[in-house]
Amino acid sequence: MGFQSQVEKAKNLLRTRLCNPNFIIKPLSDSPDSNYCKLKFTISSSITEACNNSILLVGPRGSGKIAVLELALNDLLQEYPDTISLIRLNGLLHSDENCAFKEIAKQLCLEHHLLFSKMSSFDDNSQFMIAMLRECGLAHKTIIFTLDEFDQFAQGKQRLLYSLLDAMNTVTSQAVVIGVSCRLDVDQLLEKRIRSRFSHRKLLFLPPSKEDVQRLLEHVFSLPTDSSFPHDYAAQFNGKLQNLLADDRFKEIISSYLDLNSTINHLVRFLFIVVSLWESKSGFLSLENFKSALSSIQRQPKQECIKDCSILELYILVCMKRLEVKEQNSYNFNSVMKEYRSVHDSFQTSDYYAWDVCLRSFERLIQRELICFTDNRAHGQSVEFRPVKLLVSYVELQGGLKSYRSCPIILQKLMDH
Amino acid sequence: MPSIAACNSSPHKVMVPVKSEKPSEISPSNAQSTTPQKRKLRSNGPLVQETLVSSLVKRKSPRRCLNSSPISPAIEIEKDSSKQQEKTCEIPPKKLHDNFTGKPSWNPRDIGQISALKEALHVSTAPSVVVCREDEQKRIFDFCKACIEQEKAGSLYVCGCPGTGKSLSMEKVKQHLVDWAKEMGLKCPDMLSMNCTSLANISEIFSKIMGKNLPRKRINGSASPLQHIQNLYSQQQQSSGSNMTLIVADELDYLITKDRGVLHDLFMLTTFPFSRCILIGIANAIDLADRFLPRLQSMNCKPMVVNFRAYSKDQILRILKERLMALPWTVFHPQALELCARKVAAASGDMRKALCVCRSAIEILEGELRESASNLSSSAVENELPHPQTAPACEFFKKQESMIVGIDHMAVALSKAYRSPIVDTIQSLPQHQQMILCAAVKFFRGGKKDTVIGELNKSYIDVCKSTMIPPVGVLEFLSMCQVLNDQGILKLGQCRDDKLRRLNLKIDAADITFALQGVRFFRNCLQ
Repeated sequence: MGFQSQVEKAKNLLRTRLCNPNFIIKPLSDSPDSNYCKLKFTISSSITEACNNSILLVGPRGSGKIAVLELALNDLLQEYPDTISLIRLNGLLHSDENCAFKEIAKQLCLEHHLLFSKMSSFDDNSQFMIAMLRECGLAHKTIIFTLDEFDQFAQGKQRLLYSLLDAMNTVTSQAVVIGVSCRLDVDQLLEKRIRSRFSHRKLLFLPPSKEDVQRLLEHVFSLPTDSSFPHDYAAQFNGKLQNLLADDRFKEIISSYLDLNSTINHLVRFLFIVVSLWESKSGFLSLENFKSALSSIQRQPKQECIKDCSILELYILVCMKRLEVKEQNSYNFNSVMKEYRSVHDSFQTSDYYAWDVCLRSFERLIQRELICFTDNRAHGQSVEFRPVKLLVSYVELQGGLKSYRSCPIILQKLMDH
Repeated sequence: MPSIAACNSSPHKVMVPVKSEKPSEISPSNAQSTTPQKRKLRSNGPLVQETLVSSLVKRKSPRRCLNSSPISPAIEIEKDSSKQQEKTCEIPPKKLHDNFTGKPSWNPRDIGQISALKEALHVSTAPSVVVCREDEQKRIFDFCKACIEQEKAGSLYVCGCPGTGKSLSMEKVKQHLVDWAKEMGLKCPDMLSMNCTSLANISEIFSKIMGKNLPRKRINGSASPLQHIQNLYSQQQQSSGSNMTLIVADELDYLITKDRGVLHDLFMLTTFPFSRCILIGIANAIDLADRFLPRLQSMNCKPMVVNFRAYSKDQILRILKERLMALPWTVFHPQALELCARKVAAASGDMRKALCVCRSAIEILEGELRESASNLSSSAVENELPHPQTAPACEFFKKQESMIVGIDHMAVALSKAYRSPIVDTIQSLPQHQQMILCAAVKFFRGGKKDTVIGELNKSYIDVCKSTMIPPVGVLEFLSMCQVLNDQGILKLGQCRDDKLRRLNLKIDAADITFALQGVRFFRNCLQ
């Protein structure tokens, strides 16, 4: 096939991989010490030994908790096809116990092909759940409860948690409760009697280490060398990829990106932008793609806005900054103009404009939301008398001045004061 | 917190070279505490095992066992005992230090043994004999006996921390009562036990009591169930000799509302002249009766209070040993059990926690064995060993086979149970988020309790300037603060203007300092 179509095919493959959480989580779940193995072992031992268990998955958002859980559950559903019933609850939707019991009853009915009535009361639903737990225990079927956003269930009276954990304390039931939360102190939120019934098992999802990140990048970007892909192109691509991964500048880009947020989700989003910026003309991924992806993610919108300002507008912004530094808490256009005049007097600048012109650029700054009024009422006062404040920080202003195409040196000197 | 001990530092292996010279003696200078009865048990070896085997056969698991017949473990034990007697001259040191209580050590690879063991240690398994709660059970039992004999109503309040055996003891007392009533020829009381969390509406409790008392009478629409019961109890019974009702209300504090009406009415039921109910309430708070039922004191019918205190170290140890006594194998090193009991008693005295920790110690042992088995098999595949050299490998394998749960496994299990994930999480945060935490620590060092995001941003920029790292923009700073808020490390308030949102640290500054002390960069930052 033609070169372009090979490149297109490679791009499609990479994009599909990046959107599939199972694929991403696989290289991090290979070692026997990984959370995936521990989770799978806990659930499968509960199934085979017919005992109850509860476990908590804790980690920052986007660190792969649900992905690992789904992977483990899919594997277990294949290994033990008829012995698992799955009930999924979400803390954002079902934190109220009426809703929660209704949802549990509905899902149990669906799984076991029973009819669900919307008119059933809270009592009926809870009796139904307890009866189903007993029946499934006798039939050696395990019910797995997945509670997403677990910290939401810990608000209020926590009746749902109590009922679930109490039902698990009987000999006849066979259930596993898996809670997923991003709060580290979620077990401190539980009442003490619920904490006593909940086993202390916690799996902590930490961000991947540098070696893991390297392995993940290799795993995602290596093209398969089997018959589905033209062999020469794939071999060439993989060779260039290895060179890229060993490059120090590449490692620096990745580590500077991960210094902000080192979860897997964040990294995958970055990689997706890289693949999108990869042009079909160049057949292979290069360092430039990664660099441009980084700069497109780390945009500073207000700084770019400053780059488009006129010189007079820059003067106005710098004057406002000086007023703020002088601890003048509220100032309006008149005070800014006074400052502007004093700057002109002390430094003899060439950019001195008339009052009307300054007022017009002041209004333009307001429209562009680089400055704004401090009060929201506009009681007939004209623009000149209303107090204003800056909406850009000093750092952003300084950065914008530095990257301005022909900034007067006087402005930079004024900033440093 | 004891650090995670490596597998090699297991106490058993240390002892082996010492013992090899004197195979038949039991050295009294043994580092591990051996009971003085050991010698007797060893000579009575087969006798002891037989009685234990018979008790195992009686105790069948209600659930499916993968080794389906209960006879198979017995056969294994017989084989084991015969093997033992053969090998006494060959490898005595190994048998010596595994035989703390005279039982053979278990085979961790046998799934039947593992499931029986885990079931014995599971929280939901009610033991046949409830130890360490004899006094409390006796008090409750005597109270109920007096009420039934005198046909008088009464109320009792059982309180204690979670995991102290309240509900379990109540079940036993109920059974005792039934047996005793049959023995004495008295009418057995009706039992009504309910958990107050399962009530949709709090006043439903009265309809449940109604249903128990008068199952055939229909409730009139005019009077509520409460009024019905009150009417019933204030009139002389037509049919004399109707049964007493024993009402056990678990988790009583769910009945507490603002006006405490339901709780009062429930306890007042026992004060009516012809009342026939014995009310037992179970909750966690010690002073529930004082705080929420002041009116009863004035009527001089305050409920009797039975306090279930948290378990002490000896009690926990005794309960664990009781549960493990039914099994015919030694599974735990006695010092491991003692370590677990000590730690749990010091922390909360909660029996469920102790059982959980023991189970996770078993799982750690299982994990170790699996890993060593996979290592062994992979190394055997790699190099083809000549025949005489496989003997030490098999010896090593056998040695590991009789491994029991030692102190190192228990220490790992305890640290997992009691360790908070905060220090690990802080150490694995990305660099800028760690710098935000450093800035927060420095900011709050002056004694301030909370601040706004704008101030913290300024502090963060100062930290960055002092360490020559370019600070990130305001938007990224805000999103990093949001991430830390989601994890429960910071707490952000709500405000329309982002920069004015209130912010405070939810974790201890000492934790952050401890977590980051290993990195010189942050040590300088926090100076």
